[in-house]
Amino acid sequence: MLELKPMLSALWRNKVAALLIALQLALTLAIVSNATVIVMERIDKMARPTGMDLENIFSVTFKPVDNNYDMAGAMQADLDLIRSLPGVIDASVTHQIPLSGSGSASGYYTEPNQVVGSFTANYYQTDPHFIEALGLNLVEGRNFLDNEMYTIGQNDRHNPAVVIVTKRFAERVFPDESAVGKFLYAGADDHPTQIIGVIERHLGAWPGWSLGGNAVFVPLFVTNKQAHYVVRTESGQRDALLKQVEAQLAERDPERVIKLATLSEQLAESYVGDNLMVKVLTVVIALLTLIVALGIVGLTFFWINQRTKQIGVRRALGATRANISRYFLVENSMIAGSGLLLGAAGATTINEILVRDLSQPVLPLSLLFLCALLLLSVSLVAALSPAMRAANISPAVATRSV
Amino acid sequence: MLNMHNIRKSYRTDTVETHALRDFSLSVDEGEFVSVTGPSGSGKTTFLNIAGLLETPTGGEYHLDGQEVSGLSDRERSRLRNEKIGFIFQGFNLIPDLNLFDNIDVPLRYRGFDSKERKRRIEKSLEQVGLSARVKHLPAQLSGGQQQRVAIARALAGEPRFLLADEPTGNLDSLMARQVMELLELINQAGTTIVMVTHDPDLARRAHRNIQIVDGQVSDLRNTIGAEEAAVA
Ligand SMILES: Nc1ncnc2c1ncn2[C@@H]1O[C@H](COP(=O)(O)OP(=O)(O)OP(=O)(O)O)[C@@H](O)[C@H]1O
Ligand SMILES: [Mg+2]
Repeated sequence: MLELKPMLSALWRNKVAALLIALQLALTLAIVSNATVIVMERIDKMARPTGMDLENIFSVTFKPVDNNYDMAGAMQADLDLIRSLPGVIDASVTHQIPLSGSGSASGYYTEPNQVVGSFTANYYQTDPHFIEALGLNLVEGRNFLDNEMYTIGQNDRHNPAVVIVTKRFAERVFPDESAVGKFLYAGADDHPTQIIGVIERHLGAWPGWSLGGNAVFVPLFVTNKQAHYVVRTESGQRDALLKQVEAQLAERDPERVIKLATLSEQLAESYVGDNLMVKVLTVVIALLTLIVALGIVGLTFFWINQRTKQIGVRRALGATRANISRYFLVENSMIAGSGLLLGAAGATTINEILVRDLSQPVLPLSLLFLCALLLLSVSLVAALSPAMRAANISPAVATRSV
Repeated sequence: MLNMHNIRKSYRTDTVETHALRDFSLSVDEGEFVSVTGPSGSGKTTFLNIAGLLETPTGGEYHLDGQEVSGLSDRERSRLRNEKIGFIFQGFNLIPDLNLFDNIDVPLRYRGFDSKERKRRIEKSLEQVGLSARVKHLPAQLSGGQQQRVAIARALAGEPRFLLADEPTGNLDSLMARQVMELLELINQAGTTIVMVTHDPDLARRAHRNIQIVDGQVSDLRNTIGAEEAAVA
């Protein structure tokens, strides 16, 4: 019943139009599949767990107006005040705000005086409250003790005796053994810092960083020109407490500039580029698919108009309506199939270039197949209405029009 | 073979209603060769289209081969066209993208024959019309007379009981027209019933019987009597 051979020879005589649609589909598949893999990577990236109780944390930054300000005293008084507020779970000082896009990184060695082969990680000076204040999960070892916390001046030097690290960093530096009890050496010296605890996850300062998730925490407060706190509240109370903290800190000491922001806001800001990329590429994917669908609708209608007489003759010779619509759907699938085959080759080539020169993600074969399948269905759906119209052409066309 | 009784066909557009056939009654016996003549617009093609199940009448009864066909579904009508009726058109109506073999193959595929049977029938019918050597040619590579012979071969390949031709020689010069007519006569002698619309009085006279359609009705006296007899019987 399938008339593939005569269909092919008929197609061959109309090859330019068929080729154009096939090429358009090929190009669409090549672009859409590569755009999809990038979109998916960005979405995955943005959906990565931060390790923190993201929705219930806000940060406080303050800058005193006076240069001879008692930073340590203010810090202690502020934190005491914040922690005393009902609804606040905990608050801690930190020298950088996580996920904010600003932070510090440092190299760590496993041997004293080692000069090459350091392991880089985000570095946070904080206090024994940081695990509670960020809602982190301590999976091994212990938290800092209050007597391990040091406060020093900006020009003083202090080598912390203890450090807490993320699991990702621990596994990278000590792949096959527990990191707790091991020693790290910061910046090629011989002062050992002992790992006392491991937390499950902490995305660090830069969500897009390739080493994101490698972080170390030391109990240290260095008096500086400004200080940051992170405050974690009971669920649902973040926004109210943010306002309350802002008001009470200003009231406690008006001689400073205070800035507050939620952690989720700051994360969203870090992802602005990724978000934009996802939106732009999604629009591109939708537009290309729409254009190719419209092209198929147009071409199929054009062909059917051109072949009205022929369709009437086929009906007169015994074709049922189903025979006629099937003819156009099969023809459409053959064009789409060859275009998509070509497109798959194109997609792979483009992806190789993207991976090599722009370090974009590899396009998995399954995704390519899925995109091709989707475009095949789009092309079938696009051909459906013209094919139905073809099926309704009257067999009387065979005798009526010359 | 073909029996129409009080067939009506009207076409309605937004402004006018045309009565193309009115109380049209006609019988054609098995093996007959009937020519149909009449002025332009009198309803000849309309009659042929209804006879060939290309259009449905607005009213009346139509028995084809003993079967009442006006109430059949589109699918059943398609099958009847495919199996029982062969068409020959004024404009040949070959499919331009297909070579002769594939053109004749079209109705045979709808019939569901296997490829061996189709090939046998295609070769046989091409031989009947004397074009075996051109099997790989495209329609455009043939003369008008040759194209019409291919169209006849396409109609013959299905071995129809009933051949309908609407001005089959209308686009041909007189020599080619005679050749086509001779071919139709041979086919009729082999047993196929033929109804042919023509403007050519010489060709019309060569049929067993000529009916005239005027203003949507049969005006031939002999046939009118025949129809009344049929109605009485
Ligand atoms: N699809 C249609 N819609 C409206 N009117 C139609 C349609 N088809 C035919 N007619 C009208 O029906 C009448 C009969 O037409 P038909 O084609 O049967 O004439 P004909 O005898 O074959 O004429 P000709 O010798 O010119 O081929 C004409 O008046 C024609 O205009
Ligand atoms: Mg006519």
